[in-house]
Amino acid sequence: MSTSLNSSANELESRLLKTGSERLALLGKHSEALMQAYTRDEVPLESLSDSALRKLLAARILWRPDEQSGVKLAPKVRELIAEMLADETRRHVNADVAETLELIRALVHSYREARSRGEHWRLEQQLMRLRQEVDDLNGRFADAIDSLWQRLNSDFGFVSQLNDKIRENDRAQKQIARLLDGLALIDFDELIELVGSDGSLRKLLISQLQQQLSNHYTGLREVQRRLIELMARFRKQQARSRLMSGMAAFMREHPGFVPGNYARRSEVPTLVNQAAPLNAAAAPALDRNLDSQVLAELLHQLPQPRHTTQTVEAAAPAQAQESSLAAARQQALKQDVEHFYLSVIDQPQAKPVSALEYLHASPLEWPDEIWLFQVISEYQGLPRSDQSAFRLKQQESQASRFNHLRLIHDVELQLAV
Amino acid sequence: MIEHGPLLERLLAGEFICPISDESGYRHLSDEETRESIDAYLRPLNRRLASNEDGSVYFLAWRQLNDSARDQLSRQLGDTLNSLLPLLEWLQLVQEALGRDTLAAPGDVLKPAEFSAKCEDNQSLRERLERLATDSFFGSQSDQLDAQVKQVFKRLKEHGYLLQPHSERQVFVVTGKIDYLVDLVRFIRDEENLPIDADKEEGSGAQEALL
Repeated sequence: MSTSLNSSANELESRLLKTGSERLALLGKHSEALMQAYTRDEVPLESLSDSALRKLLAARILWRPDEQSGVKLAPKVRELIAEMLADETRRHVNADVAETLELIRALVHSYREARSRGEHWRLEQQLMRLRQEVDDLNGRFADAIDSLWQRLNSDFGFVSQLNDKIRENDRAQKQIARLLDGLALIDFDELIELVGSDGSLRKLLISQLQQQLSNHYTGLREVQRRLIELMARFRKQQARSRLMSGMAAFMREHPGFVPGNYARRSEVPTLVNQAAPLNAAAAPALDRNLDSQVLAELLHQLPQPRHTTQTVEAAAPAQAQESSLAAARQQALKQDVEHFYLSVIDQPQAKPVSALEYLHASPLEWPDEIWLFQVISEYQGLPRSDQSAFRLKQQESQASRFNHLRLIHDVELQLAV
Repeated sequence: MIEHGPLLERLLAGEFICPISDESGYRHLSDEETRESIDAYLRPLNRRLASNEDGSVYFLAWRQLNDSARDQLSRQLGDTLNSLLPLLEWLQLVQEALGRDTLAAPGDVLKPAEFSAKCEDNQSLRERLERLATDSFFGSQSDQLDAQVKQVFKRLKEHGYLLQPHSERQVFVVTGKIDYLVDLVRFIRDEENLPIDADKEEGSGAQEALL
């Protein structure tokens, strides 16, 4: 009988193994669609074939709350993903101690029955399930504590607003309270009575569990303490922010607001008592021999003042401006014309001098027209008394018979003696 | 005493010493013996070491409050009050522009460029900044946003609320003097019984006491 039981148990086990791994493989095969369902509300059905959807529903990876609604991720799968991602917004903290305790009691009873009947295989099975249950319980506490630490260490970084942080902190503290309540449900006196004299049960349910739970207890208390500290800091930040904006609003509303002069009180408040700045100045002093040597060295180390040899002209822009160039040419023309006037003055017997002849005889390179124009305008520009000292004679001709336009071909300048 | 020379100089010059503005100086000041010896040194200068309530920032106070000290304090108080509203408004503007829901705190990093960019995109922030920058406390003459922001940061640095760790980089750190400002505002509120929302520190304090 024992062999047939064994073989049927083996059969059961191999069927479980096969179905389990097939269904686990579904998770990988449809991971993208499942993650989309995780981030959204529903599973995007267009990415799944009918048979795939049926398999996922059968594996209870997906479920349909009712006929009208869409297909959703099963809560356990959602939790699994949240755990794997350490997604603190969705991670659940649920130790569910009461139910586990019920299960442990039932398993212990069943274990004892098997032992009294000498059913070794069942005995083994029950012990293994007990071990799994205890591990699960431990794992749930460890996960919960891990999740709490994660949230604490990130300063609840998964929410950005201070008010949300305060709410999240509050929620975490309530979770801790529930976890601690759960721990309190485990009554070791009861467990000692339950396991009796069985060595392996005693080890599993008393010594091992007790130590693990005591670690969890310490861990939870520590997280709780830190959460409360953090909450105090959040509240302080909130209070600071409120205080400053409140004062700003008050001062805007009351532009004439003047607080009391705290400096005139008999007891000046510490905060207001701020001494005037004092400059600890020092100057070189030569009244100590030792110092004068140091000062002399310092003097030598001073950078040499740089004397610039550049003159102001040399420092002018390298390329002269267009307008200044034109002005310079104008000035040169004027000077050349003045020299022409001087040469006329120097003429013996006041002989008339042709302006063009003078120009062509000189090395000057002014165009004829410009030269004549300048000679004439120089004459016009002279004061009347000086003008009468010269006689300007224009060689001109009529441009055409039809008008009185006259062209000047040359001018002759002569001293009026 | 000689090793505290630079620290003393900073204190005498009217600086506020906090973990941000002078980490080693602040560490020295956290030691009671050092504080006592500095106090003894300051005695002939009619000054003593003072701190805010939390001890997060140290500065020098008058030891004996004679008439001239009181005159100076009155003037200084007047200056502080004149600068209070612009400072409060700047703090609010920073909070809103950078999308924060907490007040700038010691150690917070502020970048003028980031601040300008946010103000540029938002007409209301832009207008508020403009008003603020041209306030006599900040005294900007420019109508350019960048220049205004630059001037505001410069003035805050001059007043010791901000620190620029590298002079060539436009990155600023909030100093502990902001704590002093918060304490001063709280003090004024309490002294004048101003109707400003009471903070909820008592609540969490009671919770802490429960443990």
